[in-house]
Amino acid sequence: MTAPMTATRSHGREAAQALAAEMSKLASLPGTWLTLGGTLVVNLILAIAFTIAGLQGSTGTRSAVDIGLASIGYAQAGFVVLGVLTACSEHVGGQIRTTLTAMPRRALQFTAKHLALAMVVFPAAAITAASGVVLTAGVLGDTAAPVTSGRVAGALGGVTAYLALTSLISAAVGALVRRTLAAVVVLLGYFFIAGPLLRDHTAVAKYLPDGAGFAMWFPAADDASAVTPAQGALLLTAWTVALIVFVLIGYRRWDM
Amino acid sequence: MITIDDLVKRRGSTEILSGIGFQARPGRVTGFLGPNGAGKSSTLRILLGLDRATSGTALIGSVPFVQLRDPLATVGAMLDGSGAHRARTGRAHLRWVARSAGLPRGRVDEVLDMVGLTSAASRRVGSYSLGMARRLGLAAALLGDPEILILDEPVNGLDPDGIRWIRTFLREHAASGRTVLLSSHLMGELAETVDDVVVIHEGKVVADGTLDEITGSHRTLEDAFFALTTGNAP
Repeated sequence: MTAPMTATRSHGREAAQALAAEMSKLASLPGTWLTLGGTLVVNLILAIAFTIAGLQGSTGTRSAVDIGLASIGYAQAGFVVLGVLTACSEHVGGQIRTTLTAMPRRALQFTAKHLALAMVVFPAAAITAASGVVLTAGVLGDTAAPVTSGRVAGALGGVTAYLALTSLISAAVGALVRRTLAAVVVLLGYFFIAGPLLRDHTAVAKYLPDGAGFAMWFPAADDASAVTPAQGALLLTAWTVALIVFVLIGYRRWDM
Repeated sequence: MITIDDLVKRRGSTEILSGIGFQARPGRVTGFLGPNGAGKSSTLRILLGLDRATSGTALIGSVPFVQLRDPLATVGAMLDGSGAHRARTGRAHLRWVARSAGLPRGRVDEVLDMVGLTSAASRRVGSYSLGMARRLGLAAALLGDPEILILDEPVNGLDPDGIRWIRTFLREHAASGRTVLLSSHLMGELAETVDDVVVIHEGKVVADGTLDEITGSHRTLEDAFFALTTGNAP
């Protein structure tokens, strides 16, 4: 019969097990490692290209931080793809039904999935960001413009948080759209086309996720109305949490 | 015990289920029969908390599936396909499912052995045949050693050996006092396996009883089924 289990598991244990399951999913998906590895390699290739341009004087700066992070604008595509893959891989082979019969409390499972992704993308983003700067600083050597360690730490911290939060936003959009290609097109269209266009033409664009994100690591112009890195971080975090909560409200009710 | 009561499901203006109600009892194999599109999968998906009913209830014991404290140890479910991502290995798939319930790794190897997938466990699910994918789905359902099995079209895609194996397996499962609910549109495969029969047609239950009661004066369950679902006595 369906008598309650002899040892009922606690809510805390259930949450820990959901997180372990979602971590296991991420780690056992070859796409996770291909995307992270590919992003790191492409970022380093771009960093070399930007460094060579810097040595030839065409970048207008000799700062290892500015040159070393110039590639991040492109490398973020990899973090977008990883977020989307994390969400949309649930809809391959009917896996979502296995997921929801094993973890039927959807708010818990959805939160565990995003938490697991955060635990993977924060270190990955830190490595990606630091690798470009270290490589550039090594090549430029003594010819690099001096920067304070505070500026280096601030820029790396900002880039790391930006990439990781971008990945989480992408996972939420992926859960909403469900189809990998469609979600990637929507997100890359926003980050690479619509976002830059809006930034050039409207003042409010600096409060949107990409504008707020850029403020976290691009040196702000001497403009009193500019978003500071701290404000940018707060804004992007708010966007990320709001989007995840918004999608979760639907996710709890949808037929799967 | 599975208790489904007056289940209605509407999608847009289409009524997929119009008041489905039946029970699946412990110690018995209940066959949920109907032609494709009759509403079998919809009923099972609502029972498993995957879809929401417009009205009515579907309970595992006395609670809806989504309220089970330990779902994997209470209900083993197998729906269409493998339920696994094609890029993972069969073993990796079972491992994350096991983790969600805190089951030890050794249990993964046990269920792989039970369904005869040990030698293919390190291969990607994308390379599996239809029959192997079904066996993987069954392995996932068995992970938590559940009291209740809910299987959607379990014999689909299985070879004759597999069909024979699953029949024996389900009979033994029920004989040990557990509840088995399986759906099928194939009558011939089921007559030797089920104790109770629920026949569904166009979103309504058209017959519900023991195998003998449903077969009644008809020669076979299959004849009874066609009489019930087409209105033509053979």
